[in-house]
Amino acid sequence: MPIVIRPYREEHQPAVREFNRRLRSAGAEADLVFFEFAKPHWLPPADGSKLFQEYFVALENGMVRGGYALKRQNFSFADGITRNVGYYHHPLSEGIVNKSYSAVGGMLLKDAMGRAPLLYCLGMAGYDRPLPQMLVRLGWSHFPVPFYFNVVRPRRFFAEMQALRRTASRRWLLDLLSLTGTGWAGIKAIQGLRKLRAGKLAPFAVERVEDFSEWVDPLWEQAKNHYAMTAVRDSQALRQLYPATDRHFTRLRVRRNGQDVGWAVAGERRTDEKYGAMRVGSLLDCWASPDDALPVVQAASAALIENGVDLIVSNQSHGLWGRALHQAGFLSSRSNFIFAAGKSLSALLQPIEETQFKLHFTRADGDGLPRNF
Amino acid sequence: MNVFEQVRGIASDLLGIPADQINAASSPENIEAWDSVQHLNLVLALEEKFGLQLSPEEMEQIRNVGDAARLVESKAQESPR
Repeated sequence: MPIVIRPYREEHQPAVREFNRRLRSAGAEADLVFFEFAKPHWLPPADGSKLFQEYFVALENGMVRGGYALKRQNFSFADGITRNVGYYHHPLSEGIVNKSYSAVGGMLLKDAMGRAPLLYCLGMAGYDRPLPQMLVRLGWSHFPVPFYFNVVRPRRFFAEMQALRRTASRRWLLDLLSLTGTGWAGIKAIQGLRKLRAGKLAPFAVERVEDFSEWVDPLWEQAKNHYAMTAVRDSQALRQLYPATDRHFTRLRVRRNGQDVGWAVAGERRTDEKYGAMRVGSLLDCWASPDDALPVVQAASAALIENGVDLIVSNQSHGLWGRALHQAGFLSSRSNFIFAAGKSLSALLQPIEETQFKLHFTRADGDGLPRNF
Repeated sequence: MNVFEQVRGIASDLLGIPADQINAASSPENIEAWDSVQHLNLVLALEEKFGLQLSPEEMEQIRNVGDAARLVESKAQESPR
């Protein structure tokens, strides 16, 4: 019986549950499960909206052998044209536990490429994972989106940062840094020096807002042409991404001399074992002309510190947002948050070695919102 | 050059195997380099070379180089360029 790929419907739900059960019983990693409900909880299709998610399943004689999710979203490009782009995520194939189905992974991606010729992937947890390895071999353009962090409480950071405490000797060193205060002094010195180099910033005002209403639209129009590619961030899109009913997020409106210069969305991430017991805040989304990035970064950092976080993290692809983060005292580190573009999308971004620093991708792109918050 | 020879040439370039070592029965079963990613690469290369669109189901039907050539021929007849 041939395998066919079809939109995921409610009648497939029992077969998806059975698929997940087979993966688990064959020893697949615990987080490798496909969505048990056909209608996406996050960004379900809505009449007229260009921002939505769909799920698809690979079927063989009524059995589910794999599936994937496709998020559709409008993006603005350097040529001024807005195009609908697909974000391919959560691909899962029975091939991970049964070699008879090793072709399913390729079929899922082929299906997504047919439905969304402009296709990208984001995140993927590092180049050692199967999906980015596959995309690299298929000739997709790719690069890690830089990772930035700001240590608010160095003592907590050295004591809790599990990713740095993998060996006994490292744990001993980090405990020493934490207990003696040497780590605190070192981190604060680096951060202070960076802020000093940034120079004096013109005063700006910050307001916590409940909703992104029409005031964001002029900002979107004014700044969008500064980016080679960015997801549409007008009021309609932002209300879908950050509905007023969602209390996870802190929404900030930043003004200078009474004029809007930008906005930010900050939030506290879900508990993650790599951060131990630290409270981790994220500058997860932001918007301004790149030259006005610094006050927006500073506003988000101050709001998160006020909320009581121990560490602030952010991923930003744009070079000037990265510079603003450094100027605000952030440090950078190796990133496992990978952007990969299929060939048709990549063709719009050439030369990618230069363009990658003019794209605007943050943790809020892809599926970063439901995954982390 | 007929369709089979062209398909064989694409497979040869992709899999790094001399064309004269590839025949109609050459498949993932007897070519170690032909894994699921190279299978997708082969399908994408066929689409580009012959200006075709192949569905995931058609992709799965390709079991060997001979199948690939026959599929390309039948698709070309369906929608002559």
